[in-house]
Amino acid sequence: MSDKLERELRKALERVEPPAGFAERVLARAAKEDASMPQPRTWLRWFGTGGLRWAAASALCVSLATSGILYHYEREKQGERAKEELMLALRITSSKLQFATQSVERMNFPEQRER
Amino acid sequence: MEDFAPLGARVAVYSGSNGRRWGNVTSAATAPAKQASFEELVREHERMVFSIAYRFLRNGAAAEEVAQDVFLALFRSLSKLESPEHAVAWLRRVACHRSIDYARRNRNAAAEVSWDELAGGPRESGRAERESDPMLSKRLRQVVAALPDKMRMVVVLRYQEEAGLEEIAQAMRIPVNTVKSTLHRAHAILREKIGSSIGEGNV
Repeated sequence: MSDKLERELRKALERVEPPAGFAERVLARAAKEDASMPQPRTWLRWFGTGGLRWAAASALCVSLATSGILYHYEREKQGERAKEELMLALRITSSKLQFATQSVERMNFPEQRER
Repeated sequence: MEDFAPLGARVAVYSGSNGRRWGNVTSAATAPAKQASFEELVREHERMVFSIAYRFLRNGAAAEEVAQDVFLALFRSLSKLESPEHAVAWLRRVACHRSIDYARRNRNAAAEVSWDELAGGPRESGRAERESDPMLSKRLRQVVAALPDKMRMVVVLRYQEEAGLEEIAQAMRIPVNTVKSTLHRAHAILREKIGSSIGEGNV
């Protein structure tokens, strides 16, 4: 394709001016369409802007954090309780063993008791 | 230009060709801002959109109808636009597709209108008519008008819009190689029909 023909094509196919008042007619149609579109309610609009979404996200974060802390605290308490129960059981066992040892000793060496 | 991602209900605010700026404002508070942005875009790109439709459809009334529809579609999609360049590419692409669709729907009506009947049509920009042979320009427009739809649109985008191959491919959503081959075929037809008129014989 020669440069000359390309040049002539560019000249022949130059942009044309739109008819007078074209932009005004487009703007009028857009304004009409905009006016006929139902306006969202205030809270919906707020939701649309992201306000409610941010609030929901924040509330979710706070509740997750609170749940985590409570769960951790509860686990700690359960651990303490189990430890105390174990210590009590060990103490009981220990006293029982001591009593049993003394009884056995008394049976084996009655003379010691008589002296 | 400021880069930003489109965000749901946000509206791109376009501050005009002198101080181009794109920003974000929420749709709730900016109906006037939206209208102002839209008006800027219409006034800046009306020639491009109308010319694409007009060169393709060869009918002033049809071109106005298509161009108005393109701008209304733009109005509905303002929130999706990311930059002035994106707006131009978007308008070009939608203008192409709407023009092709319109031509398909109104095949018979469009075919009845020839360039000869468009003497009272839109004004040419002037430079072309002053600097070149009006008869040759008219003949070139006639040959282009007779090209098949897609080929005609490729030629319009290439020589009216000075679009690159990539840009044409994006606007028409076809591969770059298809654009190349289509242009090649269009050149062959133009050479055959017009070559002798511009003193190139069988160019």
